[in-house]
Amino acid sequence: MYRKLALAIAFSPRMEALIAEARKLIQIFEGELILIHVGTKTPELEAQLSEVLSRHCGDLQRIKTIWKEGKPTKTILKTCEEEKVDLLVLGALKKEGLLTYYLGSVARKVIRKSTCSVLTLIEPKIETTHFSKVVINGTELEITPRVIARGLKFCQAEQSSQVHILNEIKLYGFQMATAGEGTEAEVANTRRKLVQEEINYVQGILDSLEPTNLKINIKVTAGKWAVELVRFCESIEADLLIMGDEQGLSFIDRLFPHDLEGVLEVLPCNLLIVK
Amino acid sequence: MESLAHNDVINLLLKLATMLLVARIFAEVAQKLKQPAVVGEILAGIILGPTVLGMIGPDFFEFLFRSNPSANLALDGIVQMAVILLLFIAGLEVELHLVWSQGKSAVSISLLGLVVPFVFGFLTPYFFPGLFGLTEEKKMLFSLFMGTALSITALPVVVRILMDMNLFKTKMGMVIVAGAMVNDLIGWLIFSVILSFMGKAGNLSLINTIGITLLFTVFMLTIGKGLLNKVLPWTNKKLAWPGGVLSLSMAFCFLAAAFTEWLGIHAIFGAFLFGVALGDSDHLSEKAKEIIHQFINNIFAPLFFVSIGLKINFFTNFDLGLVLVILVISFAGKIIGSGYGAFRSGYTLKDALAVGFGMNARGAMEIILGLIALENGLINEKIFVALVVMALVTSMTAAPLMKWALNKKAEEPS
Repeated sequence: MYRKLALAIAFSPRMEALIAEARKLIQIFEGELILIHVGTKTPELEAQLSEVLSRHCGDLQRIKTIWKEGKPTKTILKTCEEEKVDLLVLGALKKEGLLTYYLGSVARKVIRKSTCSVLTLIEPKIETTHFSKVVINGTELEITPRVIARGLKFCQAEQSSQVHILNEIKLYGFQMATAGEGTEAEVANTRRKLVQEEINYVQGILDSLEPTNLKINIKVTAGKWAVELVRFCESIEADLLIMGDEQGLSFIDRLFPHDLEGVLEVLPCNLLIVK
Repeated sequence: MESLAHNDVINLLLKLATMLLVARIFAEVAQKLKQPAVVGEILAGIILGPTVLGMIGPDFFEFLFRSNPSANLALDGIVQMAVILLLFIAGLEVELHLVWSQGKSAVSISLLGLVVPFVFGFLTPYFFPGLFGLTEEKKMLFSLFMGTALSITALPVVVRILMDMNLFKTKMGMVIVAGAMVNDLIGWLIFSVILSFMGKAGNLSLINTIGITLLFTVFMLTIGKGLLNKVLPWTNKKLAWPGGVLSLSMAFCFLAAAFTEWLGIHAIFGAFLFGVALGDSDHLSEKAKEIIHQFINNIFAPLFFVSIGLKINFFTNFDLGLVLVILVISFAGKIIGSGYGAFRSGYTLKDALAVGFGMNARGAMEIILGLIALENGLINEKIFVALVVMALVTSMTAAPLMKWALNKKAEEPS
């Protein structure tokens, strides 16, 4: 699924954990690993890195470290394109301060602009994370069938124990208020229909895919999907949230938050953005 | 505190009961005929008012609606509140995040669907003032009003039609809904500016009023919304549900309304903007929205719509020529504008036409706008009647016309 993994490293205290996590993913996907560091290459850093690598990736044949100088976001994205990376792994803080939110941190900028899929880890661990409880965004969007297909493949590889696919009813309150012009039976019927339609949408996508042995639960929410996704992830203490991406986000989108922006504001858990 | 006398109370209660009863009967009939409830409620008012009841049973009409000034005043207060609440839910319905997610096509449809009818509505009275019996000094303001009055799409009517036609969740449906939301927002902004031009009792000068209007809008949509996002989770957690959120949102709605009324730009504007900010908040649950809608739609809205018919004689003020002129410019403006907007964003001609027909539905907002203009002496009763007829006709024809446009498409060989 993901043949070429890239990991952006910054020699932060979390670097070792991130490398361990990437190592685990390489094992699952049987791919190769590229480490990207934006900054000056010094003998000390090199020594530090090789020491960590020997601890976690000693047996790894296909591994490459790229040192580049330049603006972090641009350089990381450009390197990923040059190397034809399938999945970029990076660490991010759970919550950004108000200022960094508007100006953008490296991690969030990369998430927004990357052309390859991005896995953002908020709490990388040296003993690695098992993505056991996974939430997939099943909101009706153009990219959703692809997100579900890729997401399920990821879950299969990872052997997740629970997979929840969340879909939302758009403008539920307004629709129900409008339906309120009918009789009680009609209103109940509309309510059922609204829920059933959303289940059918996800079920339709699942039916078109090869069957898996995963435990899949379809859940329908009402309200803004990004907010509901975050809430749901928090309530079940999900390990991973998988969602698609809306292209072309700009500063305006941060002033008037889009759905993806709503999730990026406070990351509820680890996040995989499928592109 | 003054209070109503024994007789006043009885009269007021009789009024309210009659209005609600007749409105309900006609709303049910309208729905059986696949028409929006609003249409039935307005007709109920025309029948209870001087137009019909005043003609066939003048004594009864006189006794019920004219004989008791104190009860009339009390009713007027209730109707005022109804208008404010209607605008509050109109604001709640605007979901900015949906608009942004629909992107360019929604913006293009709604802007063209706003600008073209506005231009039509503006230019017709401006160049043919004779048609509307206008004097030179009123021409500019009247033309601005007419432009605005023709450009606001009735969101609830549109949603109902789209749901009935199973189009709500389609790309076209979402684009129409998002377009109508942008329409609402901009239309009311323009109207608030016109209101300040009319210069009704306000405490501030014209430029200040416009400045403060814009400032208030920006404030409500940014800091106001932010504050709501902080307060709502607390209310949801600590206060009774849905009691807490209901009474607090009403209270703040009235506060915002009082503030804009004080500015001199009419109470409804504050209620509308507060509604937008509240509706866009992440923490107002859909269930709470549904409850707010239900009690306003079924209790206050009918009182308002019936009250329109009570105020005006639709027969003596019916001017066929005027009605036709307004109908033509309203149909042409909206269908050409929104239709072209849709066409430009890549819809086929038939689909674009369907979008235009859908956006053509006008309703409560035009009527409220018209009523305020009437109260401020900007328009006369004949024009008001023509506007109400326009709202009725556009709402009633939107669904059949959309069906027609889409059926035509189905017949075509693919």
